[in-house]
Amino acid sequence: MSEKIFIAQGELTAVLERLSKEMDVWVPVEMGDEKWGIRFLPYHRDTVVVLNRQSTLGPKNVLFPQVETLLSFRYQKDDDDPSKQHIDLKDRQDISPALVFGARPCDVRGFLTFDQVFLNGRYKDPYYEQRREKTLFATLLCDTEDSACFCSSVGSGPGDREGSDLWIIPVDEGFVVEALNEKGRKLIPVMGKQATPEQIEKARRIHEQVSAKHVGEDDLTRSARDFTGRFEDMDYWRDMVSKCISCGICTFVCPTCYCFNITDESRDLTGERLRSWDSCMFYHYTLEASGHNPRPEKFERYRNRVGHKFSYFPDTYNGMISCCGCGRCIRSCPVSIDIRRVVHHLKEAVDAEV
Amino acid sequence: MEDKAKTLQEEFLKVFEKLDVALGWETGYDSLHATPSFIRQSQDLNRMVWNPLCSQNLCTYLAKTLNPSVRENDKKIGICVKGCDSRSLIALIQEKFVARETLYIVGIPCEGTVDWRRLMRLKPSLKDVQAVTIQGNELCVETTQKTYRFPLHKVLEQRCLQCRYPNPIIYDCLIGHPITPRAGDGQAYEDIEKIEQYSLSDRLKFWEKELDRCIRCYACRNACPLCVCRDRCIAETRTPKWLTQRCDLTEKFLYHMIHAMHLAGRCTECGECERVCPVEIPVTLIKKKLNQIVKDMLDYEAGIDPQKQPPLLTFDPGENKI
Repeated sequence: MSEKIFIAQGELTAVLERLSKEMDVWVPVEMGDEKWGIRFLPYHRDTVVVLNRQSTLGPKNVLFPQVETLLSFRYQKDDDDPSKQHIDLKDRQDISPALVFGARPCDVRGFLTFDQVFLNGRYKDPYYEQRREKTLFATLLCDTEDSACFCSSVGSGPGDREGSDLWIIPVDEGFVVEALNEKGRKLIPVMGKQATPEQIEKARRIHEQVSAKHVGEDDLTRSARDFTGRFEDMDYWRDMVSKCISCGICTFVCPTCYCFNITDESRDLTGERLRSWDSCMFYHYTLEASGHNPRPEKFERYRNRVGHKFSYFPDTYNGMISCCGCGRCIRSCPVSIDIRRVVHHLKEAVDAEV
Repeated sequence: MEDKAKTLQEEFLKVFEKLDVALGWETGYDSLHATPSFIRQSQDLNRMVWNPLCSQNLCTYLAKTLNPSVRENDKKIGICVKGCDSRSLIALIQEKFVARETLYIVGIPCEGTVDWRRLMRLKPSLKDVQAVTIQGNELCVETTQKTYRFPLHKVLEQRCLQCRYPNPIIYDCLIGHPITPRAGDGQAYEDIEKIEQYSLSDRLKFWEKELDRCIRCYACRNACPLCVCRDRCIAETRTPKWLTQRCDLTEKFLYHMIHAMHLAGRCTECGECERVCPVEIPVTLIKKKLNQIVKDMLDYEAGIDPQKQPPLLTFDPGENKI
């Protein structure tokens, strides 16, 4: 059987229904009636999948839940010697297999930066690792870029298949789906009928066309040195960031932001150790126990965000930058801060000094 | 609109040497978005724009970023305010977060600002926008190809559809002429009344569904001009600890109740909390409900009269409704 199948628009629900019997199927759905925003939720009967625009909240939650319980505990008093107590710990997690259907190349690229941090370093993160292994990505070729998108500026593109297991190309009144690896190939028989040569040819042309697009104006992949040059130019950061309101939107909607907090949340004798999303935009992110805060002002915090993505990260991980160009931080920013602009202008200072 | 932007720039230019900074709006990352503008040099004034995309309430920077109660020189902060923004400003002055004499206020009567997401729902393919204006009851969006017209009630922000104060209440200089409010006092709480017609269990369901989406990014709090606790918000304090890091409904609900309770009788209904919410929760409804209660009990509306003492910031032994 060919590795390329066709799903007619009208059959999509049935396909997702079949898939959801075997695994959790995460699909993009609207936030509510009359709402514009989209988030990823597990598919169930009656779910209306929306594929015509980028999600506000990508599938980051699937591999990196906003909150996950690392372990739960209970203190138990020793009945014979009340001065003693011991702790019951439970740290087993059941991770079920999952498929993310209809994410875009930028969403998937986000996880490539996660992999560097959680899998490829000296220590592996077992929580992330389990989910990563058990999750497949059926990614949609992206032909709906808007003025905030810049995936090509960060070395990706609307036809970037890296990190995906299946590749979906919208063709006529349906989708041509192609397996990109062995994991993906296993799902092909469940998904649909073989595509006709015409459909395959059409899909090939669409893929070629979309892949040739350059989304975004600059090349932002070589900004590490420019960032260092601007680091101490506080006027620059003040100028760029005065309007920031220090909320966590840019980091929470970002497919590549992986910072987390670990807290013990307990009540009486029981509790849980939680890992939850944190945001470097928050004052409390760097607040130390002494009361000292190395990044008390939003200028320092925003500078760190830019530095992390375009300088520290590539320095640590072979030049890879931790920005996927999805534009979510721009689109969702309450005051429309444009990270492209901030990174683009880094350069002038370095040049000017030369 | 062009003319108003010009007038705005000229008015600021006249007084610019007495200003530290002029706060207005400029074009954002595309022509469908405006972004706050901090102008520190007069030659940059030509960046300032005025159009129905200028939605941000700039007063939110006053008690946070700019802190005008501590001035290093005798220069003022120039700030543009729409009708709703001017109410926030008055509330800040009443609560002594901002001294009136440190401000140069440019008031702009406002016909409403665009809800970008509602516009996208109507016309997702809108691209190459050149200008956005309000003409009569329509929003005109000129693109390089053609001009689109949308009925205002379909594209304006919710706050604007019920706007009773389109004209700035406090200002040093007014751009253009006062306009007629879109809504009367009787319509102020129509949206609340709609929710209140639900049965209690339906109301609970409604809020569970809406608040469940909250990701606790705290944008609603940070965009609020009257949320003045800055980095000391009790939603994030560790000692004592009121909220956990869990992201279940209880925590989200509690956070929003804290936010709303701290704004009871203070909220000026600028709607910024709702506008900035990335997951589109109608959080203004909660604050408006509290305002309605304050209005009923104490006959007080926040941000109308700079001389008045906000009732919940004082104690009146003769108060007969408490």
